[in-house]
Amino acid sequence: MKIKLNKKLLVVTGILIVALVVTTGLIGHKKVDYNTEVKPLFNKKCISCHGGVKKEGGFSVLFRNEALDTTDGGKPAIIPGSPEKSEMIRRLTSSDPEERMPYKHEPLSRQEIDMLKQWIKEGAQWGNHWAYVPVGPVEVPRATSGFRGFLSGNNNWVKNDVDRFIFEKLQEEKLEPSPIADKATLLRRVSLDITGLPASQELADKFLKDENPDAYEKLVDTLLASPQYGERWTAMWLDIARYADSKGYEKDAYRSIWRYRDWLINAFNADKPYDRFLTEQIAGDLLPGATDEEYIATAFNRNTMNNDEGGTDNEEFRTAAIIDRVNTTWETLMSTTFACVQCHSHPYDPFKLEEYYNFMAFFNNTRDEDMPGDYPVLREFNDADRQKFGWLKNWLDANTTKEKATELITHVKNWQPAVYAYHADRFDNCELSEVYLAFRKNSGCRLAAVDLTGKEQLLYYYNSRRENGKWTIHLDSSNGPVIATTVIPPTKGWELQKIDILPSNGVHDLYFSYSNPGVDAAEANNNLINFDWFLFASAFPGKGLPGYDSAYAYYNYLLTTPPSAKTPVMMENPQNMFRRTYIFERGNWMAKTHEVEPDVPHSLNPLPEGAPRNRLGLAMWLTDKKNPLTSRTMVNRIWEQLMGQGIAETLEDLGTQGIAPTHKELLDWLSWQFMNEYKWSMKKLIKAIVMSATYQQDSKVSKETLEKDPFNKYYARGPRVRLSAEQVRDQALAVSGLLSTKMFGRSVMPYQPKGIWQTPYDGAIWNKSDGEDQYRRAIYTYWRRSAPYPSMVSFDGVAREVCLARRIRTNTPLQALTTLNDNAYIEMARYYAERMRKAGGSEPRQQISKGYEMAMYRAIDNEKLDALMKLYDHALKEFEKDRDKACEMNGDDTRETSPEKAALVLVANAMLNLDEVITKN
Amino acid sequence: MTQKELQAQKLAQEANYEQLRYVTRRHFLRDSVTGLGAMAFGSLLAGCDWLGSKDNGVAANIFDSANPMAGRPPMFPGKAKSVIYLHMAGAPSQLELFDYKPDLQKLDGQQCPQSLLEGKRFAFIRGVPKMLGPYGNFAQRGQSGAWISDHLPHLTTVADELSFLKAVQTDQFNHAPAQLLMHTGSARLGRPSMGAWASYGLGTENSNLPGFVVLTSGGKSPDAGKSVWGSGFLPSVYQGVQCRSEGDPVLFINNPEGIDKDLRRASIDAINEVNKKSYEEFKDPEILSRISQYEMAYKMQMSVPEAMDISDEPAYIHEMYGTQPGKESFANNCLLARKLVEKGVRYVQLFDWGWDSHGTYAGDSIEIAFVNKCRSVDRASTALLLDLKQRGLLDETLVVWGGEFGRTPMQENREGKQQSFKGRDHHAEAFTIWMAGGGIKRGTSFGETDPIGYSPVSGKVTPFDIQATILNQLGFDHEKFTYQFQGRPFRLTDVHGRVINEIVA
Repeated sequence: MKIKLNKKLLVVTGILIVALVVTTGLIGHKKVDYNTEVKPLFNKKCISCHGGVKKEGGFSVLFRNEALDTTDGGKPAIIPGSPEKSEMIRRLTSSDPEERMPYKHEPLSRQEIDMLKQWIKEGAQWGNHWAYVPVGPVEVPRATSGFRGFLSGNNNWVKNDVDRFIFEKLQEEKLEPSPIADKATLLRRVSLDITGLPASQELADKFLKDENPDAYEKLVDTLLASPQYGERWTAMWLDIARYADSKGYEKDAYRSIWRYRDWLINAFNADKPYDRFLTEQIAGDLLPGATDEEYIATAFNRNTMNNDEGGTDNEEFRTAAIIDRVNTTWETLMSTTFACVQCHSHPYDPFKLEEYYNFMAFFNNTRDEDMPGDYPVLREFNDADRQKFGWLKNWLDANTTKEKATELITHVKNWQPAVYAYHADRFDNCELSEVYLAFRKNSGCRLAAVDLTGKEQLLYYYNSRRENGKWTIHLDSSNGPVIATTVIPPTKGWELQKIDILPSNGVHDLYFSYSNPGVDAAEANNNLINFDWFLFASAFPGKGLPGYDSAYAYYNYLLTTPPSAKTPVMMENPQNMFRRTYIFERGNWMAKTHEVEPDVPHSLNPLPEGAPRNRLGLAMWLTDKKNPLTSRTMVNRIWEQLMGQGIAETLEDLGTQGIAPTHKELLDWLSWQFMNEYKWSMKKLIKAIVMSATYQQDSKVSKETLEKDPFNKYYARGPRVRLSAEQVRDQALAVSGLLSTKMFGRSVMPYQPKGIWQTPYDGAIWNKSDGEDQYRRAIYTYWRRSAPYPSMVSFDGVAREVCLARRIRTNTPLQALTTLNDNAYIEMARYYAERMRKAGGSEPRQQISKGYEMAMYRAIDNEKLDALMKLYDHALKEFEKDRDKACEMNGDDTRETSPEKAALVLVANAMLNLDEVITKN
Repeated sequence: MTQKELQAQKLAQEANYEQLRYVTRRHFLRDSVTGLGAMAFGSLLAGCDWLGSKDNGVAANIFDSANPMAGRPPMFPGKAKSVIYLHMAGAPSQLELFDYKPDLQKLDGQQCPQSLLEGKRFAFIRGVPKMLGPYGNFAQRGQSGAWISDHLPHLTTVADELSFLKAVQTDQFNHAPAQLLMHTGSARLGRPSMGAWASYGLGTENSNLPGFVVLTSGGKSPDAGKSVWGSGFLPSVYQGVQCRSEGDPVLFINNPEGIDKDLRRASIDAINEVNKKSYEEFKDPEILSRISQYEMAYKMQMSVPEAMDISDEPAYIHEMYGTQPGKESFANNCLLARKLVEKGVRYVQLFDWGWDSHGTYAGDSIEIAFVNKCRSVDRASTALLLDLKQRGLLDETLVVWGGEFGRTPMQENREGKQQSFKGRDHHAEAFTIWMAGGGIKRGTSFGETDPIGYSPVSGKVTPFDIQATILNQLGFDHEKFTYQFQGRPFRLTDVHGRVINEIVA
């Protein structure tokens, strides 16, 4: 055996020597690689003056055509094939300090210059950055044939193909993988990862007792199938979607958009394929026969902020929202720092200024205009009203054209397509009160360019303070023909009203006038009526047909009945409201230059054949398997969620300035699998990762491994990271037995200290929720942008004003203070202690041991138990001495409070603070 | 020191040492792996090589997740060690306080010339408003002859300490965006605030206290909410810690009922003891960080309530500031600010709400509400300067006073109506800010506006210039002090800003 091995070794060594000789001999002839050799040098030494932002001397190395173009010096700086004629090389080697590049910086080294010479000689070919090349099939390394695997003869570690990539790299780095973690650790790890919660006692018992080899896989399947799965992954997506229950900016008023959060939970639980998942969020409204759910999915892009502050320009903040949508799409769905391109061509990556605006044009035609009403919205009805709606829809489908039916349904469901009243101009004693169009005693104004073709009705949303006001609409001038007149009664708040208008074809300016002789002079300057929007509609069809009366009555009823939920959604402008898109000079929305059409950047895949140039086409492009970024981005993100860091650490940037992936082939292989084998199933992707030996490894680390790989980049050990803000809270609720399993619905307000919400204007207050709503999972907590839930913020939660591709984990004393002192955590500790007492009998030692097992699924070791017992004994003495304190600790108001109980609460509080409890091992 | 305390201290020291070793290694490896940045190995312990990143144009982020608040020296020795920024939220009228315009008095009640209105947007003024003369009596004060009105009688006595910027111009005329611009360099949300930048750059001198503290008065938070002291894309640890007058002075700093100092110590000992066992088991350096963070939390629990308690200040100090312990007031916050910088806090941001004098009713009128606001800040802000001075702290503490924009020389006419109280609308074109101490010239004034105080005629400065100047006083070059994010280096002043050398001593 020994001899055999030595022989093999000899042979292998021989081969190695030969290989070494051969490759050394070849080095002189190896072609220079643009991506790994030239581009990094350009980025480091040249591009800050000769790139997308500055093109000193008319020379840029960003694109090949720019680099080969004539410079200010009158000739090209790079002449492919001729380094000796290339000005760039001359300037790099010049001895005149005024000429020598990099200007006023260290010269390039001899090797670097030689490399560039050779590269020019070979034709100065540009290469594509790996992340901009479509994902192709990747060969799985045959890890078992590796040298070390062969030597050790033990390769049972590998469990699936993921491990083969990891193992190969470990071999290169001379690192040994760790054994699989014990069952208790695995149970807790995978359960927190898949559902965001510790496993239920029942599930834990089942798994820990199951000796079958497939026990772990069964556990994984059960967790993936549980409803809590959707909640956990929604928590991740809410940062991407910059979800909040308020609109942001100064007023930061309530926004009812929780239906979108619920949509996400359902979509994750149903394992909606990722391509479909994105398509519905980007363009659900444009899908044929879009359902309510598909509309709600588009609220993804209605999570942008609204500025309701008086005097702000709607167009400015509408534009800000559109820009946010562009940036969010790129940063979170395609890991690209496209925001740079808003002001100038990308300094490092192949994106040009105008391409930003081409892309923006996809988003620039929606009906939202930074309105306080958050229009357009989807109005959903309660069960009874939904029946009426269904009846109306069927009747319309049967009795009128499809086009007409859609128009009327859109009135009822969305109050669209409305013209917002602030667009009025030529005020004669009218004014804009915030965004509302206000009329005084005798006043008038114009609403320009309204397409009246086929319109016979006007719907409007308004409020009125006084009776007997007469409102008249003239055509084309203030004394033009009257097309409608009505006497406006006082209202209780905002109301929707409907009047007939005389039919007149074509586009017209409308002149509104309002008079109210009954109002006395003292009130002459008061705003008497305010309008929010106008909707010009065709007449209700089918007069005389059977069922007309009921249908029309339902239509009128549904237009005004309060909906059960009202969610901001995306909705495209009709043709006659089409908005043009212009390039903004240096990113300034006021400085518009030339017009652009919707398009995607040329350096990436083209729009798929037949894709319309709207958001739906954009979604098709985004989810096209040829899109190089979509799949990679999501795979990288899910890897980060499970393993603690991305394969490429910078989730927000896979471009040339991002941190290079540690396992590029694995990233590509998983991305290929995700699209082609898993058919975009996120559950399958997650399963592939958690079934790997890589994931299941023990997270203990030896000194040597820590020296070699402090950040676990090569995965010679399992992940060990602090829980997310949401998980810290959810786990504490779960182990204390307080956690409510209630799903969905409006956001709730659990306990929060006083004085967190201090708002200048709207007097909104934090009203602590009742009953189990106190103890819901963190994703249901009301998220106010200007004052997010404090304990979430301590653990790196963000305000969600804009999207966040990656939370940066910190470790601060404020986190310790939160879990030590927040009354919410004290309450959890009390319930946790109660559970310990019930489970552990009369002995405190037993109680604490049981408590530890509840959180960790394994027995506590004696030294840890001793430390906690010491705390217990110490506390018990104190509480026996001072019953008032015990009373406070227990939250009782009786004199018969138990010092033992109080001591256990203090221990429970300490246990919720243990490193291993707030960490995923 | 008891045996137990000794043990705890030993454990914490050990943790600190291990952590430091780990951090050092971590940064070194990270930098050599990614090739970003040129941070030298040794510089981590000696402070950061801020300028080292210049060569390749890409900055490395100077950030260590295990000990993010460790004290660091600035780029160059700054004249100011700390900043106290007194922000009058709502925007006080420069025309009633510092920017004396006798000509405006002559125009009082006359219609505003059309030339001033063309192409301008106002928050509330509609149609043609009337001009409004200054309300208050002006005189030149001190040796420097600074114009200060009698609304601020105390401040007139320290006129020679102040350096006025009389032609500050912003481009935002709504509160929230203007406050954001002033403190984060962007009118949109999402950028780090100046205090967060300072905290990121300098860490904290006193690990028992946060590096950046926010104090609010006037009953409400500033319009821009917590974002105005947020950390933006910087790690959240650098955001301002709001110290409150109601409830815990710092959120969750006080022990819950039933737990006293002794029990808290015992429980942190137990937690750290168990964590130490975990460390022996897993050898994960994050556990050591956690041990030291819990130790630091305990220290903060001991020192923050003390730092936030002004009741043991001597009577003459209370007299000087006009403080009443236990109340939420600007005066209390001024005194607290002094205590905090004395203890090593780098950046103290005060917001005093209630300066939005539109004149729509008595409560926001110039003649009543504004005068009262002046009274409520005058004594305390003066006392702050005098108190810092008598302690020898003014030279190293930069004090800034101002709002987010100015007020119009015109009387507001909301909804085109005549108002029964004096009031002015938001005005972005020109307003006044003063600075004192921290290496700023004494008794000087820079910048001038036209005879009615509408626009700057000379010495115009922007919020970016103010930011550049504040960073400069702290020892940072605002053009080189960057954070790498979304593939590019970001800075507080974006692509703008100039140090206002005219007022730098």
